[in-house]
Amino acid sequence: MIIIRLWNFFRGYAIIIVEGLKIERFINMAISNGIYIWDIKKQSYTSISAKIGLENFGRMREIVRRTDCTIEIKEKRGLPFMWKNLKRHKLFAASVLILIVTIYIMCSYIWMIEVVGTKNIDPKTVLEIVNNEGLKEGVRKSQFDKHSIENRVLIKMSTLSWVGIQIRGTKATIEVVEKREEPELISKQDSCDIVASKSGIINKILVLNGDGVVKDGDTVKKGQVLVTGTIIRENTETRLVHSLAQITARTWYEDAEEMELQQIEYKETGREATHYMLKVLNKEIGLKKSVPYSEYNETREEKNIISFGDYIFPVKLISNKFQELVKVPKTLTIEQAKKRCEERLDERLKLQLSENAVVLDKKIVYYEEKKSVKAKITVEILEEIGMKKRIDGK
Amino acid sequence: MKKKSYKIKETLSNALELPKDLILDVAKVTLVGNNSVTVENHKGILEYNENQIRVNTCGGVLIVIGTKLNIKSIIQEEITITGEINSIGY
Repeated sequence: MIIIRLWNFFRGYAIIIVEGLKIERFINMAISNGIYIWDIKKQSYTSISAKIGLENFGRMREIVRRTDCTIEIKEKRGLPFMWKNLKRHKLFAASVLILIVTIYIMCSYIWMIEVVGTKNIDPKTVLEIVNNEGLKEGVRKSQFDKHSIENRVLIKMSTLSWVGIQIRGTKATIEVVEKREEPELISKQDSCDIVASKSGIINKILVLNGDGVVKDGDTVKKGQVLVTGTIIRENTETRLVHSLAQITARTWYEDAEEMELQQIEYKETGREATHYMLKVLNKEIGLKKSVPYSEYNETREEKNIISFGDYIFPVKLISNKFQELVKVPKTLTIEQAKKRCEERLDERLKLQLSENAVVLDKKIVYYEEKKSVKAKITVEILEEIGMKKRIDGK
Repeated sequence: MKKKSYKIKETLSNALELPKDLILDVAKVTLVGNNSVTVENHKGILEYNENQIRVNTCGGVLIVIGTKLNIKSIIQEEITITGEINSIGY
């Protein structure tokens, strides 16, 4: 039935009201003349409403005359009438058309690029390379080849092991997987020595394969051979083996820090101002107002205003929030300065320590001066220092 | 004369098992539930009211009684009536 309705809609039809005493006769005459009438409803005792195709309307006049009915068009429906209406409102029709075309065209561009999966690499560097390869904001989807860009980015960035570009709507997501830095592996067949990775005093040396050169309690320097893979015995030929050993040593770590007693701190006054701007494509629209504060914190936020699911359009609202700051001079007591020194030293120490290191002893010496406090830290650590090194030349 | 030809046609359709509505030009009434009735081979409508529609057919006048009766569509061979149908009779 929907097909017939659609057909009628495209052809155009009218809702008519027929009034008269011989309505049955009117209907019979209409059908015998081949006029299709549908949806006949009784309105009152002497009138009906019905739908009639546009092309048959002229032929009704004859029937109306012969059956003494009056006919009245209540409503005209369908595409031909809508078309007529549109013609009357040309500007409106044109603007709707332009809007549809604009949206359609905009959908075929990339308006947002996102880099996912970076750990150590700055997403901006990936973005920059991708931009250079031709995938930029505002580029047409058909203008670049996804796979060739993926390949070229992989070639340019040796630190990546995989690059995948996914395009959804107007957004391109670049997924990257970073290469894990693996130490140079020496296979069991290759001969190697074990050397010290740090200077220190050997705490315990357990040789599994190879000849130990040093003993417990020996002081070693960085790079010194601890276990040799070259085995020299009397009466036999010199052999080369793959050395294996567990070597722990006590090592030292030193660091220093200075803290001024006179400090300047910034405090928020609670007053803030927000400036709004529109960003269309890469152009910022809006008045650049001067910031009313001399010292301030700036937070910038960009928000996509127009987006339909994955289809994001390049209109952004930028809000710049300025928070007023005020300088507060502060004098630290010696105790406070010491504490801050210690905190900073501890933080740096944590970065230096390897995974399985044990801190045996920690000493901090403070030197109090007129305007500042100096601190020196000495830490004794127990850690593995063995590092394999391939025997070259043979 | 007319009666004779009718009888011949009837025996013919019986003998050959042909559908009667095609050969004898009688009305075929299809009722779907109680809200739609289709009459094929009608000869025009005689009366149209919200509660009663009388349709002329070859075999006599078909009367459809119900409430809120509308003529959904009407063409030369077929008429479809919708609404709440209570009874159909000749």
